[in-house]
Amino acid sequence: MTGIFDWFRECFTDPAILSAIKVTFQMAVCSCAISSVLGITFGLLLERFNFPGKRIVIRINRTLMGMPPVVAGLITYMVLMRRGPLGALGWLFTIKGMVLAQTLIITPIMTGMVHQYAASKAPAIREFCKTMGADRFQTYVTIIKEMRHDIYFCMVTAFGRSISEVGSVMLVGGNIKGSTRTMTTAISLLKSQGIFTEGIALGMILLIMAFIIQWLCDFLQKGDEH
Amino acid sequence: MIIKGLEKTVGDFKLYIDELYLEPGKIHGLVGHNGAGKSILLKLMMGIMEPDAGSIDYEGLDIKEVTLMPQTPYLLHTSVYENIVFPLKLRGIQPDETEIDRLLEMAGLSEQKNQYALSLSSGEKQKLSFLRAVVFKPKLILMDETLSNLDPESEAAIIEMIKNTQADQKATWVIVSHQLENKKGLCDEIHHMSKGAMMD
Repeated sequence: MTGIFDWFRECFTDPAILSAIKVTFQMAVCSCAISSVLGITFGLLLERFNFPGKRIVIRINRTLMGMPPVVAGLITYMVLMRRGPLGALGWLFTIKGMVLAQTLIITPIMTGMVHQYAASKAPAIREFCKTMGADRFQTYVTIIKEMRHDIYFCMVTAFGRSISEVGSVMLVGGNIKGSTRTMTTAISLLKSQGIFTEGIALGMILLIMAFIIQWLCDFLQKGDEH
Repeated sequence: MIIKGLEKTVGDFKLYIDELYLEPGKIHGLVGHNGAGKSILLKLMMGIMEPDAGSIDYEGLDIKEVTLMPQTPYLLHTSVYENIVFPLKLRGIQPDETEIDRLLEMAGLSEQKNQYALSLSSGEKQKLSFLRAVVFKPKLILMDETLSNLDPESEAAIIEMIKNTQADQKATWVIVSHQLENKKGLCDEIHHMSKGAMMD
């Protein structure tokens, strides 16, 4: 146990670990932000409009919500590799590539959750906005504002999924020390080297990060109720 | 407002209003049993539902000057004050704080001004819904069973507010209810509905 705390103290002076924390945070925040924009938009559009094949689209999205990360990683890898359709971007083994893979994993989750919440709440809000004389844009803004607690929850879930992911970031990022190594890929490497104590300590830092984000969201939610 | 040949089918229920004229500036009561089609008629008037056939002539009134108070009001997840000023903000109107305070005083909600709206009692929620509906001075106010299921004190308070507001604003009101008691003294005209049609 003492070993963990000693390592805990030292880890904030180790550039490799600090880099892993930074990369994890960068990747999670960027992918979560992009997925939130896409997921909220798709989720609300899916609730609002009826079109032929809508049920199939919803089912496909639900299937993608459970897509194995390693599959998303493999697809992203194939798209980004030198001879792939987006190979010219040079994003393979970079944080940008990892963000793309994470966005592929998280966006269906955000879309599905937002659509589910919107299906139960948006019709009443839309009707209310009509009675108040709101135009289409004002109605959308009001729906998003009124669903903010649900959206916070979706974002926390997406963020949690992003920071805990290992399969796709390993494939797309390559686990390069000081460049694309995240906390989860570092833990995976430490485990393969038999260094369990440091792996547990990194895991604790990961949990603390998730806890802080969760606490921040709860704080913001409670703040606007009083 | 002139309604002519209005038709709407919802499931097995069919609404047909041959002709209905609502004289401007009057308080109209729309009375009928549950399932008579009163709420559907109000939703058609509000533009929430599209009619299958027929027309509603607002006589030059913009739909943004029409409002509807449902039996169970939707309250925004914010304070009482923010709920009241919501329709003003939509129209880019700066709230007149003296007027807001006067309305809150009239409804007996002054102390709850900064309270979270969803924490109000059901009677207070109806009063808040009322203030929010009248604050932007609409020309046509539709009330769907707003006075039903209220305690006598809250019902009397809202009736009093309708009278006070009407003295100020001279709007047209359509007050829907399944019971006629207490509405006779309030309404200038009473219209009866049954099985999706007007009885008058």
